[in-house]
Formats: sequence, C-alpha cells, structure tokens
Amino acid sequence: GLTLLGTSGAANAEKVYRLKMAESWQTNFPIFGDAPRNMAAMAEKMSNGRLKITIDSANKHKAPFGVFDMVRAGQYDMGHSASYYWKGKVPNTLYFTTMPFGMTAPEQYAWFYHGGGMQLMEKVYGKFNLLSFPGGNTSNQMGGWFQKEINSLEDLKGLKMRIPGFAGEVLAKLGASPTNIPPGELYTALERRTIDALEWVGPSLDLRMGFHKIAPYYYTGWHEPATELQFMINKRSWDRLPEDLQEILRVAMRTAAYDMYIQSYHESSENLAVLDSEYPNVKIRTFPEDVMTALRKANDELLAEKAKEDPLAKEILESQANYLKKVRHWTDISDKAYLNSISVSK
Amino acid sequence: MLLKAEKIIDRFSDFLGNVSAIIFLLMLANVFIDVLMRYVFNDVSIAMQEMEWHLYAAMFMLGVPYTLRTGGHVRVDLVYEGLSVKRKSIIDIAGGLLFLLPFCLLVGWYGVGFAHEAYLLGEKSGDPGGLTHRWIIKAVIPFAFFATAVSGVAMILNAIIALKDEHETHSDRGLL
Amino acid sequence: MIGIVMFFVALLMLIFGFPVAFTFGGVALIFGVIAEGPDMFAFMPFRIQSIMENVTLMAVPLFIFMGIVLQKTRLAEQLLEAMGKLFGGVRGGLAISTVLVGALLAASTGVVGASVVAMGLISLPVMLKYNYDKSLACGTICASGTLGQIIPPSIILIILGDVLGIPVGDLFQAAVGPGVVLIGIYVIYILIYSWVKPEAAPALPLDDDVEHRHQMYGRALKAIIPPLALILIVLGSIFAGVATPTESSALGGVGALLLALVYRQFSWKMVFESAQETVKVTAMVFAILLGATAFSMAFSYTGGDYIVEDVLSALPGGTMGFLILSMIAIMILGFFIDFVEISFIIVPILAPVADAMGIAPLWFAILIAMNLQTSFLTPPFGFSLFYLKGVAPAGIKTTDIYRGVIPFILMQVGVVISILLFPEWYGLLD
Ligand code: NA
Ligand code: NA
Repeated sequence: GLTLLGTSGAANAEKVYRLKMAESWQTNFPIFGDAPRNMAAMAEKMSNGRLKITIDSANKHKAPFGVFDMVRAGQYDMGHSASYYWKGKVPNTLYFTTMPFGMTAPEQYAWFYHGGGMQLMEKVYGKFNLLSFPGGNTSNQMGGWFQKEINSLEDLKGLKMRIPGFAGEVLAKLGASPTNIPPGELYTALERRTIDALEWVGPSLDLRMGFHKIAPYYYTGWHEPATELQFMINKRSWDRLPEDLQEILRVAMRTAAYDMYIQSYHESSENLAVLDSEYPNVKIRTFPEDVMTALRKANDELLAEKAKEDPLAKEILESQANYLKKVRHWTDISDKAYLNSISVSK
Repeated sequence: MLLKAEKIIDRFSDFLGNVSAIIFLLMLANVFIDVLMRYVFNDVSIAMQEMEWHLYAAMFMLGVPYTLRTGGHVRVDLVYEGLSVKRKSIIDIAGGLLFLLPFCLLVGWYGVGFAHEAYLLGEKSGDPGGLTHRWIIKAVIPFAFFATAVSGVAMILNAIIALKDEHETHSDRGLL
Repeated sequence: MIGIVMFFVALLMLIFGFPVAFTFGGVALIFGVIAEGPDMFAFMPFRIQSIMENVTLMAVPLFIFMGIVLQKTRLAEQLLEAMGKLFGGVRGGLAISTVLVGALLAASTGVVGASVVAMGLISLPVMLKYNYDKSLACGTICASGTLGQIIPPSIILIILGDVLGIPVGDLFQAAVGPGVVLIGIYVIYILIYSWVKPEAAPALPLDDDVEHRHQMYGRALKAIIPPLALILIVLGSIFAGVATPTESSALGGVGALLLALVYRQFSWKMVFESAQETVKVTAMVFAILLGATAFSMAFSYTGGDYIVEDVLSALPGGTMGFLILSMIAIMILGFFIDFVEISFIIVPILAPVADAMGIAPLWFAILIAMNLQTSFLTPPFGFSLFYLKGVAPAGIKTTDIYRGVIPFILMQVGVVISILLFPEWYGLLD
C-alpha cells in the first residue's frame, strides 16, 4: 500500500510519498526493465525526492502474469507490464498493445494521445479501478525465426510455430499449428525441429536467445508492428497523490515510454549490424504477397467476429481502423514516399 | 472418538490420493497423445496442451494431503529418529498447531479470494482455443490447502492417540 | 536482518524432525506475519500458480513414474545388476553403473528433482541388496542425479545464458567438458574407494567357470537392452525433434509400461499402484517447493534481498579475489536460496563487475553453473538430499545421506577450482 512519511507539522511539500511497483520482467531484463527504472528515477528527481518508487521484479513477486490482479487488489500501487497479457481476464485489454497489420509506433502514439486511444483505454480499465498509460515501445517486432522458407500458403499448413495470442489465432486460420513451448525449452525445441518456427521480439532481444545459430531464416514482421508496454496504477493510490505529483508521474511515464522506444530502435539497429557482420548466413525474408494477403484476410475476419461479440470491442476497433486510415495516408506520403524516393535515387 | 474422527479424515485423504493417481494417468496419456498428434499428424491443440498443466497441477496439489496422511513428507531425522514415541508425538502436535495449520489455513484463505476473482472475471486462457473456466484450477489452491489442514488435524489426532497409548496407533505415519 | 534470523530458526526447527515442507512454511508464516502482517500471504496464491504453470517441472512426476514402473517390474534391478556384472569382478560396479545411468538421465532432463528421485527408486534398493555402504550409495545417487544441472539440456544453463547474454548453444557446448570430467572423477573415486574399502562396494558374484561366464555376459546383455532402449527413446525423441525434453519423460513413462507388457509384468493393479506412489513422491517434492517459496517470499519481503545485494556489491577487487569470493558467496547463498533466484538476483550484481575485469563470460557462467550444481548437494538445505530421503527405504538416515555427499561435494569443489585455475583446459577463454 501507499504510506506517508515525514514530519507532521511540516508543509505538504515535504511529505514523501512511496509507491511500490511490480514489473512483469525478471531482474535486469534489458530495455523492458530499464523503462520503469528510468521512470522512477525521473519522478524522484523531478519531485525533489518527494515521490519514491520501488520496483519489484518477477523473481521477487513470482507472478509476471499476476500484475493486473496485484495492482487491482492494492498489493502493489503500480505495475509495468503489457496490456495484452490480460486478455484472458478482460478481453478488451487486447487492443492496447499492438495488433497485426495495425499502426506503427508513431501512428499508435498519435492515436493514444490525439485519436481517442487514452479515453478508450480508460473505458476498459476504469471498471477495474485501474489507470493505464503507454509504457514504452519495442518498435516493429520481427516475424520470427524459421527452419524452412515460406514460399506459399501451402508452407504454412501444419507449420508448428510458437506464437502466442491473437497472432497465433490468425495463423491457425491458415492451417498453421500454434504451439505452446515453455521459454526454457524453446531453444532445444527449435534446434531439434520439434517446432518449425518461433517468434520472440526483434534483434534487440533475440540475439541473446541464440536462435540465429540454429535457424536459417529470419522473417520480417507483420503481427506486432508497435508493441507498447504499459504502466498501470491503482486508482486509490493515484488519488492519494497531490496534484503536482500526479503530473510529475504522468510526465515521467510518458518520457520513459518515449525513451524506451528510441532505446529499442537503437539496440535493434546495433544487433542487426552484429547479425549482418558475424552471421552472414542468416537470411532475412519477407512473406510472399499471397501469404500476406491471406493473413490479412484472416485477421479482418477475426476482428469482425470480435466486434460482433462486444460493443466496446467494436468501438475500439472502429476507432483504430478509422484512425489508421487517416494517419497511414500521411505516413505514406511522408515517411514511405521519402524512403522509396531516396532508395530509387541511390 | 478421536480414533473415529481420525479414520474419517484418513478416508477423505485416501480418496484424494486415488483421485490424484487417476489424474496422473490422465496426464501421462494427455502428454503422450499430444506428442503423437503433433509428430505424426502435425496437429496441435492448445486446449489439450493446456490440459497437461491443469492435470499436473491438480495432481500434485491434491497429492499433498494424501502424502501427509501416508507419512510421505520428508523429515530431517538427525534428532527425531532417536526420540521416544512420546517425544515424537509432542513434536508432531506442536509442529501441526504452530506450523502446518496456520500456514495451510492462511494460504487457503487468500486462495479463496484469488479463485473468486478469476470466477468473477470469467477468466480464461489468453491463447486461442485455450481452456475456459480458469477459476476451477485456481480453486484447487484453496481446496488443496484446506484439505491439507484437515489431513493435518488427523495427524495431530494420531499423535494424541499415540501419546495416550504409547504402543499402537492404527495408521503408519512413521511414528511407531 | 530478519531474513538471517529466520534462516537460523528454520535450521533449528528442521532438526526437530517436523516435515521439511511445513517447517519452511510455518517459519515463513511466523516471521512474515510478525514483520509485515498477514497480508504478505496474499502473494502466496500467485507464487503457487507460477509453480503450477511451470510445465518444465512436469518431468518430475513423469520420470518418477518411469522409475517406479521399472522398479516394480524389476527391470531396473536387472539392468543395474547386468551392468554391474559387465564391469566383471570390478568392485563398485553397481555404483559406476548408477553414475552412467545418471549421466544418461541428465542428458534428457535439466530438472534435478526428477533424476534424483528416479535414481533413488531405481538403484538404491539394488545397491542396498548387494550390501553397499549406505553412505556411498546415497552420495552416488545424489551426485549423479544432480548431473542434469550441468549436462545439457539444462534449465540452469538456459537461465544463465539469458541473464549473462550468452547464446544458449555456446553454453551447452562449453558445459560438456566439465560435465564429462565430473563423471570421470566420480567413477575414479568409486574405483579407488572400493579398492581401499572392499566391503563398502562389493563386486557382484561371478561364476568361476569360463563357459558359464560367457553365458552370463549374454544374459547381462539381454537384460541391459530393454531399459537402455527406454533411455535411448527418451534421449532419441529429443534429438530427433519428436518431443521437447519435458515431453520425452512422458514417452519414457509410456515406454516403461510397454516394457512391462513385453516382459509379462503388466497389470492394471501395477499401473494404479505405480500412479499412487508417483503421486506420493511428487507431492513430497512439490510440498517442499511450496514451503520453500513461502520461505523465500518472507526472506525477500523482509529485506533479505537488499542485505544480500549490499554484501555482494561490496566484494573487493582483483580478478582472482573477486572470482573466489563470488564463488564462495554463491555457494553459501546456495544453502538457502533456490538456484533460479541466484541466477536472476545475484548473478546480475556480479556480472558487470566480472565484465569490467575482463573475465570471459563463458568462463564465469560455467563456474556459476558448477557452483549452483554443488549447492543442490550441500547440507542442510540441499534439495537433492531431501528428495533422496523422501524415496529412500526406512533404514536410510539423513546422516547417511549427509555423510555420503561430502566426498562428492569435495570433488565438485575440486573441479570448480580446476576451472578457476585452468580455464584453458576446458576451452573457456575464447
Ligand atoms: Na541436463
Ligand atoms: Na543448498
């Protein structure tokens, strides 16, 4: 819980507010774990030491997927996790991390802060006495490591792939077999071809898993174009903070999220360079057009089903689809056109 | 009277042991079938894969009270081994009242809220085609801990009986 | 400070002989509630669920079942006797066979509880039957059952790879050398021990007549084939990509039932009784895990983790000095903290220092892995010791096990020292 310390007669300004935060990551997990620590350090500095946030990693609380419940129950004041982890408890939390064929990171940030995303997120989380904020972006994730090349839809049939969640559902519609493998056994399973493929994150975090030594194909992404992590706060803990500290916390979270996005971008480029120079045999591939078209069709059908089942899901999906349409037009004639034009002139 | 109460509890613990044994065999078959289906038929069922850990978890959780009843929980016998039946009984009564019962009851108590929460949210697997009704497997936690507390009561009764009559108790808990 | 006091109280309480699992849980409860109030225990269901969902540990009941079926059908006994006889008049043949079977099991799982218990069920009764010294038998089983930690595939190496940022494949490769050395040293130790003390590990009786002896070799080979085939199925299914390491243990269980069928030992009664015993032993192992998770929860939430961090970050410099002190620290912590926690909490504190000193990450990782393996064997909180005690016949005392593992601990420490002094022998420097 939240505790107040400090001299009783002194001004409000001297009170120290302590918040306890649970993260879903193991101690010292790079990038993901840097975001909450960076946030806590900023908040403490900006508040001149009045706001102190301590962070417990998954190895302390042992419940990476229990952060939602623990913050909701007040066992922790805050959490750092990912919204789509809670879709088994609250289905509509799925939409606030990333969606296959969805927005890129800048587009999605624009949707959160200017396109109604934050309000929709509040609609979903408010019922549970929680506040949720963007918590850092991994940038575009890779499509995964494959033992065989995917040349046609036929190659997806019976493909045993470790790919959890909604993207797995999309692949399953095309005849692939999403498979659960505990992370500790992924390496052996892929090496021995117990599974044909798996997805992890991107160069920033994949290289330490060693997959590049055992799988020849690294596919570009389609299913997690902008994975956004999440800060969540118990509403009671939030309400107990004075207004200035609330604002400091808000700014610290937003800045830490941005910092994580650029850190991911940097680490991915660094690690990709390592991959290029030290493992030239790894072939980077993109799914052929007919596969992409079929995946997209399956994705649309599944989303239509979700929208039919739940009016709030419909509202969120429509908001995302409408915003994407508008913002992508700008992306196309700004970044995309720029990249296309300069690659032609090279 | 004590003996009768102990016997009834023991029968309950034995019943849980039998249930666990059946669950274990189901789990063995489940894993085997999953491997076979994936390797031979390239067919993977997320529900069946999740059923593996549901069965496995239920098996060892429900096995804990049964193992207590059969005296299967490890003891460090540096001192215990050489003690008289009377002293052993005192250790079991004290340990039961001080350690086992409070621990099981407190964890069981918090387990109720934990499972209830899952029930209220209608929690299910986050993976496509996964199992629904997550509250059932979560409810195994309070159930198993309460059952272990009940089995612990039988252990204490057994020790009381042994304390009264230092020669015989009807069940073998490693006491005699 | 509470964490340290709690540790010694638990130690004292364990000696009274109340079941280990509930002593851990009860001590954690008393200290946790006094220090932080009962609400700390609201974390327990989450911790229990993470054990329930840890399917890697599913290998524990499955290997136990395989072991029990092999034991009930006497197939395991025949295997070990046959292997013992193949080593001819060599004393200690049974113990050497145990080490070799343990090494094979180790290559198919990284879960220590599974192989210690399976080995305890399979080879302890046989060694006792042939009048082996209890301590030697227990020490051999604990040590060879714990090999799964260092011989790939191994959970600990995967976790260390993640924490230290080393590709798992490199680690697996690097661990093979030290693992083989360890096996070799165990075998040499058993040979010397049984040469010095023949009554501790008697050779199996052999026929004097040469012709009979040839027949015996034939019989021995026949007895070895089925269980060995089983182990090969388990290993083979991993290497051929048929099953994950965890799933392969289920193939082992089903395979054991098929063998029982082939050797006309199968009955539904046998199957159900084996399942019942499996439940009993599995619940024993997991109850310890449940008690231990309460203990480590109370330890860390009352500030124990900060004490550990402070002590470690104050370790003095100098490459050798740092390595030696951090190895000693890890070994001491291994007395009461689970290896997963050591890897995630302790190693990240030490890793940057090691990095700054230019210590090769592979070298550091293998040192830690060997060290953690040793911590499974160290009394009083060595998990392997509890597991073996849980399946050992009534005549085996805790003291037999403690006495038995000491030489093996010393051998392990010796190997750790050799890695420390001569990493180039093991190819750990590039
Ligand atoms: Na292993
Ligand atoms: Na230990």
